[in-house]
Amino acid sequence: MKQVQQVAVKIWGACQRGYKAMARIDGRTKLGMIGWTLLAGFALVAGAVAQPAEPAIRPPAAAAPLDDGQWTMPAKNYASTRYSELAEITEDNVKTLQVAFTFSTGVNKGQEAAPLVVGDTIYIVTPFPNILYALDLARPGAPMKWKFEPNPEPAAQGVACCDVVNRGAAFSNGRIYFNTLDGHTIAVDAATGKPVWNTHIGNINIGETITMAPLIVKGKVLVGNSGGEMGVRGWIKALDAGDGHVMWTAYSTGPDAEVLIGPDFTPHYDMDKGKDLGVTSWPPDAWKIGGGNVWGWISYDPDLDLIFHGTGNPGPWNPDLRPGDNKWTSGIFARDPDTGNAKWFYQWTPHDLHDYDGINEQVLLDMTWQGKPRKVLVRPERNGYVYLLDRTTGEVLSAVPFGPVNSSKGVDLKTGRLIVNPEKETSTGKVVRNICPTASGLKDWQPSAFSPKTGLLYIPHNNLCMDEEGVEVNYIAGTPYVGMNVRMIAGPGGHRGAFTAWDVAAAKPAWILKENFPVWSGAVVTAGNVVFYGTMEGWFKAVSATTGKLLWQFKTSSGIIGQPITYRGPDGHQYVAILSGVGGWAGAIVSGDLDPRDATAALGFANVMKDLKDVTTPGGTLYVFRLP
Amino acid sequence: MNRCLPLLLFAMLAIAGCQREERDTRPQSALGSGKQPTPVTVLTPGGERPSPSDNKAAAFEANAFHLSQGKRLFNWFNCSGCHANGGGGMGPALMDKKWIYGGAIESIHATIRDGRPNGMPSFRDRVPDDQIWELAAFVRSLSGNVPSSAAPGRDDDMMVHPSENRLPNAATLGKSP
Amino acid sequence: MRRIWVMCGAASILPLAGCSGWQSALDPKGPAAGELAWLIWFFTALCTLVWLLVMIALIMTLIRRARPIGDPLVLDATSERHKTRIVFAALGATAVILIGLTLLSFFANRTLAVIGSDAALTIRVTGHQWWWEVRYENSQPNRILTTANEIHIPAGEPVRFILTSTDVIHSFWVPNLAGKLDLIPGHENVLDLKADKPGVYRGQCAEFCGAQHANMSTFVIAEPRPIFDAWLNDQLRPAAPPASPEAKAGHDLFLKRPCVMCHKIGGTMAGGSVAPDLTHVASRQTLAAGTLTMSRGNLAAWIADPQGIKPGAYMPVVDLNGDELNAIVAYLEGLR
Repeated sequence: MKQVQQVAVKIWGACQRGYKAMARIDGRTKLGMIGWTLLAGFALVAGAVAQPAEPAIRPPAAAAPLDDGQWTMPAKNYASTRYSELAEITEDNVKTLQVAFTFSTGVNKGQEAAPLVVGDTIYIVTPFPNILYALDLARPGAPMKWKFEPNPEPAAQGVACCDVVNRGAAFSNGRIYFNTLDGHTIAVDAATGKPVWNTHIGNINIGETITMAPLIVKGKVLVGNSGGEMGVRGWIKALDAGDGHVMWTAYSTGPDAEVLIGPDFTPHYDMDKGKDLGVTSWPPDAWKIGGGNVWGWISYDPDLDLIFHGTGNPGPWNPDLRPGDNKWTSGIFARDPDTGNAKWFYQWTPHDLHDYDGINEQVLLDMTWQGKPRKVLVRPERNGYVYLLDRTTGEVLSAVPFGPVNSSKGVDLKTGRLIVNPEKETSTGKVVRNICPTASGLKDWQPSAFSPKTGLLYIPHNNLCMDEEGVEVNYIAGTPYVGMNVRMIAGPGGHRGAFTAWDVAAAKPAWILKENFPVWSGAVVTAGNVVFYGTMEGWFKAVSATTGKLLWQFKTSSGIIGQPITYRGPDGHQYVAILSGVGGWAGAIVSGDLDPRDATAALGFANVMKDLKDVTTPGGTLYVFRLP
Repeated sequence: MNRCLPLLLFAMLAIAGCQREERDTRPQSALGSGKQPTPVTVLTPGGERPSPSDNKAAAFEANAFHLSQGKRLFNWFNCSGCHANGGGGMGPALMDKKWIYGGAIESIHATIRDGRPNGMPSFRDRVPDDQIWELAAFVRSLSGNVPSSAAPGRDDDMMVHPSENRLPNAATLGKSP
Repeated sequence: MRRIWVMCGAASILPLAGCSGWQSALDPKGPAAGELAWLIWFFTALCTLVWLLVMIALIMTLIRRARPIGDPLVLDATSERHKTRIVFAALGATAVILIGLTLLSFFANRTLAVIGSDAALTIRVTGHQWWWEVRYENSQPNRILTTANEIHIPAGEPVRFILTSTDVIHSFWVPNLAGKLDLIPGHENVLDLKADKPGVYRGQCAEFCGAQHANMSTFVIAEPRPIFDAWLNDQLRPAAPPASPEAKAGHDLFLKRPCVMCHKIGGTMAGGSVAPDLTHVASRQTLAAGTLTMSRGNLAAWIADPQGIKPGAYMPVVDLNGDELNAIVAYLEGLR
């Protein structure tokens, strides 16, 4: 079976190389038409040959269509695989990778965004002040085509937890959609850079900001808010991609009518069944300021016609003020994209004690699980487990820790409930030591990548533990609502980050790379069997997708916390792009110039990043690499 | 009798030590208004301006009661939410020697009262003026800029940094300038 | 001379007058306090008896005519044996009494410990300088009630108190109902009590906690179950909307001025939790942790000059003009 698979993969690779050779000869002449025809032919042949040897685990075809060499959304496709079928850069030749061009974003804050490539243009959105640049890839040195400055309200910086980042834009139908820190969603004409519409949906005066990358599904721009540290009630909205009007809003707390829970709602577990749980699982009024913000990743399955999105931590962090399960925070919703109606929900961390937001990426896959074909979603979660969920029902198939976890003792697969370790429960005035993982989770927002060729999920993550003390907390609208003194320390082994290749079928790690600092960047994996990620020292690394062996690395000007992408340039060659520029929660000590003598600076993160200031300085630069 | 006299004097002296300072819990108009405007820059065309001075500022900065109240309010009003315990987070660090909008107590008072454009909210009308002075004085203590005899000592919470009365002056870090 | 004795006697009886009423350990209104009161009386009576016997013995020894001292080196065996017997008897009696008292207090403690073992109601009391935060726990989180300074309990039912603090050590003591127990930051103490009959019982912080320790009192109001339930449901409602234009102005002022930084009023943007919850403040019988009785005048006085009434309390003097003060009072007065 494996051999057949390898043969098929080789044939597929050959087809691709053939096409690429063709493309190189043809350039962008009339012959391109012939190239496409040939490609179709090759694809057919390859398909016929590969039929019996399809990868055992692969994303649903509708959510991850054939690679066109572009990169139109941060997660690459609706299945969020961050996998590129481009294979010009391989394990063998990646060592010769060199810089094609660079571009300074002019912003010295954390660059978490994924660049987009559409046609001949690369688009990047910066952290606050959220400038959108379009660079022309067809001309030497990729000069600027246009830039769009939305001029967000500077005061928004004061209510943005954990640096003023932006996680990227999304392209659809000739327009670039992105969010600004001060709560606007903006559609810009991709060709001219002229704004098409601008909808104001977030109110900074109650602490609401937007940092996430939107997702465009069926003519709707899906956007969620940030502010889980400010007592902001979480929501996700669908805006009409055409004119920007709000089509539906689904809150993460409150009465069923506002959470868009109706008769279609069929959660798998009893703990999520009941009327108005978004109200009854909170003390009176607490749900109005209870967080559950949708600031992370959204996936979409066109076959099931469901979107999947996580919800953030409940507020405040100090759990004494919110007895109860705090629905629907720190969980995942499956919703109908047309109406927003919830289909199912699963709560990763009921009554969260340690800021375990549930907003990470979910990779949609089809695989055989215990002898049965299942439509699953894989989620490396902040609380330390890799969850395998049946995405049609929300049933947990497995939940296995992918690093050191002592805040919980596993997941009860019968009830679906996380088994909390009572020794690590926090409350006011009590110092609890050595809780793993930290508030930033075993893995935070930094998205992983999945390769159907290896069946491995490449998870960039942290290896940190923390001491916590609940402190008195006072709700004042528009100010932080946290109530926790946190002091982070390095996890077991002393290394603060790791890059883990997770065998999805076996539910165990295939290999683990230790990194000195948390790996706060995303990952991308290619058909050339190369995985790219960046470190906070500024190294941009390429490792073998099968063994994890370091194949190539390049030191960029600042620490990397961005999301790498790869694309086919107008010249037909494969390129790899990454934004360098340290910041984010982990890098706030540098981008915000914090004082590490205070162990609680940056909500405790500065304590474990004391030496980052000696290693890197802020500064946003786009790096694009190619083979010579 | 002769031997008793020094003893008596000593005892009186010791008793005098029990009187530490007045705890002004009501606004004291005798100290001045504390409301003079504070420029944010040192540049003054046409010759330098005398630096602002106010009895109120000085009275608050050297007063242990006001400093401790400032420390309490720093948490109550969620200053600590953004500035942590002085190291910063969403907002800048307060225990270093860098001041974006001026490090004099008058400037800090103005920053809290009126806010600043890049994210500092304005607490005008939300916090009584005297409490703003208390907060400003406490903020100064984080960088070792108030008398250590008046700065707060160690509290009962998790140790996040040496107590304010042991923090070195941020500008000199304990070394002579 | 005799008149002085009479006066002294009368004066010493006077403090005993304080032993009855709504804050007295000697006037028990529940099993926990009853157990303790019985102990107090028994201890006092027994100790008084012992003291009297000792005094009698002492006096007898003093007034007995002194016998001539013989040769100290000659021992009178009978007399020696007699004395030894007396000493050992006294020693034995002391041991028996002490062991007996220890056992008594031990059994009393056991009785106290089981009073709340089947308590249907758990109330979390958190000490603050200088007021009490009171939270009625409930397995259904949206029926958890947070209020301040006034504790309603159902009469005739055991109630469990969980005691903690956020700043310094306080002590919760409602003498008519139970013994005192400390509120310690970061630690939970459990106190069980039961009020046999409806009534109002005063409690007092019994551990020095700072400037206004003396003005940190509380009232436990025991009422029949139906009335208690009605009260609880009433308190769970969000605050009443302002009824008059003046109250409306007060509502707006409350949200615009420093009040909003510390206090909570359910159903409004005011969500502070470092000062007493004011959602139903006017339904309480007192203000400022039992310092003033609730009335329009006292409300106004308290807001206008809290530092005159309770110097050092954390309620600051807020700069309000007369109209503003009246408006805020009108609003708060409507929060029943």
